[in-house]
Amino acid sequence: MSAEHDHVALRPEQVTIPPGHSWNRLPIIAGVIALVGAVACAILGPGNPKQFFFSWLVSFLFFMSLALGALFFVLIQYAAQGGWGVVLRRIGETVFSTIPVMAVLFVPLLFGLHDLFEWSHAEAAEHDALLAWKAPYLNTQFFLIRAALFFAIWSFIAVMYARGSRSQDTTGDHAVSARLRKFAGPAIIVLALTQTFAAIDWIMSLNPHWYSTMFGVYFFAGSWLGFIALLSVVVPAMRGAGLVATIISREHMQDIGKFLFAFTAFWGYIAFSQFFLVWYGNMPEETVFYKERMEGSWLTVSLVLLFGHFGAPFFYLMGRSVKRNGATLAAGGLWLLLMHFTDLYWQVMPALHPEGLSPSLLDAAALMTVGGSFVATASWLLRRHALVPLRDPRFAESLAFENT
Amino acid sequence: MAQTEAELLDNPVAGHPALILRSPDFHAITDAVAEPVERTTPLGWWFFFLPSLALLGLLGVAVSWLFWEGIGIWGLNQPVGWAWDITNFVFWVGIGHAGTLISAILFLFRQTWRTSINRSAEAMTIFAVMCALTFPGIHVGRVWVAYWMFPLPNQMGTWPNFRSPLLWDVFAVSIYGTVSVLFWYVGLIPDLATIRDRAKTPIRKFVYGIFALGWRGSVRQWHHYETAYLILAALATPLVLSVHSIVSMDFAVSLLPGWHTTVFPPYFVAGAIFSGFAMVLTLMVICRTIFKLEHIVTLRHFDYMAKIMLVTGTMVGYAYATEFFTAWYSGNPYELFTFLNRAGGPYAWAYWTMITCNVISPQIFWFKKARTSIPILFTLSIVINIGMWFERFVIIVTSLHRDFLPSAWGYFSPTIWDISALLGSFGLFFTMFCLFVRFLPMVATAEVKTVLPQAHLHGHRGESEREHHPTAPPPAAATETRAKRRFQLPMVPQLPQGPYYGILAEFATPDELSRACARVRDAGFTKWDAHSPFPVHGLHKSMGLRRSRLPWIVLVMALTGAVAGFVLQWWVHTSAYPLVISGKPFFTWPAFIPITFEVAVLFGALGAVFGMLGLNRLPMHHHPLFQSKVFERASDDAFFISIESWDPRFDPAATRKLLESLRPRSVELLES
Repeated sequence: MSAEHDHVALRPEQVTIPPGHSWNRLPIIAGVIALVGAVACAILGPGNPKQFFFSWLVSFLFFMSLALGALFFVLIQYAAQGGWGVVLRRIGETVFSTIPVMAVLFVPLLFGLHDLFEWSHAEAAEHDALLAWKAPYLNTQFFLIRAALFFAIWSFIAVMYARGSRSQDTTGDHAVSARLRKFAGPAIIVLALTQTFAAIDWIMSLNPHWYSTMFGVYFFAGSWLGFIALLSVVVPAMRGAGLVATIISREHMQDIGKFLFAFTAFWGYIAFSQFFLVWYGNMPEETVFYKERMEGSWLTVSLVLLFGHFGAPFFYLMGRSVKRNGATLAAGGLWLLLMHFTDLYWQVMPALHPEGLSPSLLDAAALMTVGGSFVATASWLLRRHALVPLRDPRFAESLAFENT
Repeated sequence: MAQTEAELLDNPVAGHPALILRSPDFHAITDAVAEPVERTTPLGWWFFFLPSLALLGLLGVAVSWLFWEGIGIWGLNQPVGWAWDITNFVFWVGIGHAGTLISAILFLFRQTWRTSINRSAEAMTIFAVMCALTFPGIHVGRVWVAYWMFPLPNQMGTWPNFRSPLLWDVFAVSIYGTVSVLFWYVGLIPDLATIRDRAKTPIRKFVYGIFALGWRGSVRQWHHYETAYLILAALATPLVLSVHSIVSMDFAVSLLPGWHTTVFPPYFVAGAIFSGFAMVLTLMVICRTIFKLEHIVTLRHFDYMAKIMLVTGTMVGYAYATEFFTAWYSGNPYELFTFLNRAGGPYAWAYWTMITCNVISPQIFWFKKARTSIPILFTLSIVINIGMWFERFVIIVTSLHRDFLPSAWGYFSPTIWDISALLGSFGLFFTMFCLFVRFLPMVATAEVKTVLPQAHLHGHRGESEREHHPTAPPPAAATETRAKRRFQLPMVPQLPQGPYYGILAEFATPDELSRACARVRDAGFTKWDAHSPFPVHGLHKSMGLRRSRLPWIVLVMALTGAVAGFVLQWWVHTSAYPLVISGKPFFTWPAFIPITFEVAVLFGALGAVFGMLGLNRLPMHHHPLFQSKVFERASDDAFFISIESWDPRFDPAATRKLLESLRPRSVELLES
């Protein structure tokens, strides 16, 4: 059964961005945006370094989480030997290939550790018994070692999977798929653990007294949903731009939509469970996180998340036709990306502005810089390779996929 | 084309490996599944049934004595007020999760391998929920007032406390039980029809016929049926997540170290699936041997199940690790003490049993040799169930036995009655399961047939794009009647006018049926139907059917349920019976979410099942088609088209000629 699948006759222009296509300009456009953002950061940042680091952290986390979601998406496709999504895999590979760039974008944060993290002040522990207790974990050296380790591991997995998959485009070697499938299981475990500790380090420890065992799962739920939302935007956009429109069909869009719907519900489940147990238990050291976010303008943001991140998209994405139509699916995806950003903003920013929501120009500047670099890298990578892994042994199966 | 087990397991990266061995035809599958129900009871069955019955008797004794004497016969005491009773409850609810996971979640993920095992897993779910419900029922002490748990005002004018997780549990588990029964029964209907059609004695025909509801396997029926099944799966998926989440909240909303932790909901769900799969494995290894179903429940199925156990076991391990790390990270001395005490205190033996069985032992499933070795699978399935029982024991008892004051410390030891109740619950479970495999088809026959290669229509690519880019104009007759049909209920039963009910034509394969359907559709007939033993995907397109309207019924029902559930709680806690609980305001919407959700799912599921039956005009135990002798095979391996005599284009001679031109196996004129 496998042999005839090797040769799906596709012309190169069907699977690549043809020369002269408007998408070829994306890296330049995104690069310019990044540059403008960087200039804005350089002008505004020195006046308010604390705000700059927090804004940068939110934007960094947003794109980092998308890359991690993409990594998980691809790994799970291999591990579960999923057929339908093979045509989408290259998009995932492109997104997670930005991880080394994200590592570079992490570097500015290192200059703001003292602004971001209370625990990084050695003298803070002297007056705070809890910080003294946590010092073996929450200290600058160990934090840096861990961050380096996370990026090393993620980059390793990312490079291995992206390279393997691309090499198959030319060789058509099935052994590549077998090898990558073998490593997918352990890689998922490593990813789950590193992602959990990254969430603890980069978000949870902003409020070093607070803890929640669910937090790693919560970050995962957000990053996974974030990537699916990105997919929901990119796929219709590619189809609309005449790229791979004959390969990635409505059937695939419908499945992306189903994922978007299902993981909207999953995110709601995890977010609600975490909130609910803390709220019900009402223990001071736990409620501190939610108390800040249930007062003043942060309460408004919390309600926006409740209805915007869960309620509205849940009902919006329920129907079949919404998922099969590119414009409506992309609208849902775009909205959820916005909500995912809001979610991270809501997790991070109250540490800086406990008194209430106070948006800053630096938020926009950081978003432009990080986002521009992310999009520029991803779209540049997209140009260099086929848009679909056309010689994957399951490519034909994915191509033929149809919802019943 | 005979396949060996070895070829089956040869796992190419590409393509779909066959799920069913020896590539049987449809009839062979019907035979293999129906045979255990039809033949005389095998000796091996008694070998399992009688000991189970004896254990069930033990449960009867243990429960009777408990009611007579009181909870004091158990080892419970201060500070361990919950022990084996609640451990057993959580254990059994957990076992019950695999059934829904297999039938609903794997269905949504298009894992067709589930078809060989979903029926028995669903049955197992129902029996496990029965066992689970026994324990909270009997441990309340005063069982004669157990109805206080229901949302009814009792003689003292009080209402239950809707803000208590224990009440959420009552709702969650009983609704889960109800929805599982509905799901299971909906799946059974076509197979009951198969048994009915094969029945040799009138009593059998009557009894199975009653429960088959007059199922005719018509494409119009399959159409609504499949929609209902999909919706039930979509409802059951969040339901199954919610049930064990709510069970976990029995513990997690408290302030007890070791219980109060936010990761509990997903962690309990993963553990539940883990233990449930282990139990399915135990049962399937035994059943496939006794009933000779090795070619339907193959090593490939075990291979997949072992992978799921590896995943969920590792997730459970992740939760153990997170809890331990956070116990330290929190800096809360009580939290840390609880966990150190688990690993090194008087119950360390239980803790390390749990770790060994649940986290370490499933790691062997990284190796394919282990995943496909029956002895290893069977042993591990039992080891995992022991481990998962210990997990609940560790969570419940170790957290309780060290109170905040050392003077209130204790150690729980079970009495003979604790042990009897646990063993007895296994008696209940296995007795029910034995009865199930004896009297009902334990493999979803209709669904297994759909995974055979010959069950699919060929040359159907691109059909869906036609929705948007119609290449051919729709048949004139269809457009004509579309406006009229919109406000008409489908399949309104009308009495035939003439001497005939209609004409029935039999076809050999789904492909031939599909081609014939397209011709009949294009000829402009409207009062006609096709019949197949299993849902043939794409056939409704050949027939020109519109999408089922069932989703709308379900949506309205579910929203009604949500509103009803929420309003009930709001009204009780603000006007009917306001009560201050844990310092929270009367109107506490977050605490109302669990029950609101559960009631919404219940209403939605009822809407799906009864809506499907209503749209299909079932039950309808008598139908002219049942006169036909060949039609008995409509639930086995034959495919039919029936054109009814009151169709405006019907003409006995001409219609017969049309059908004969479609190369049927036989054509028959049916009297009315």
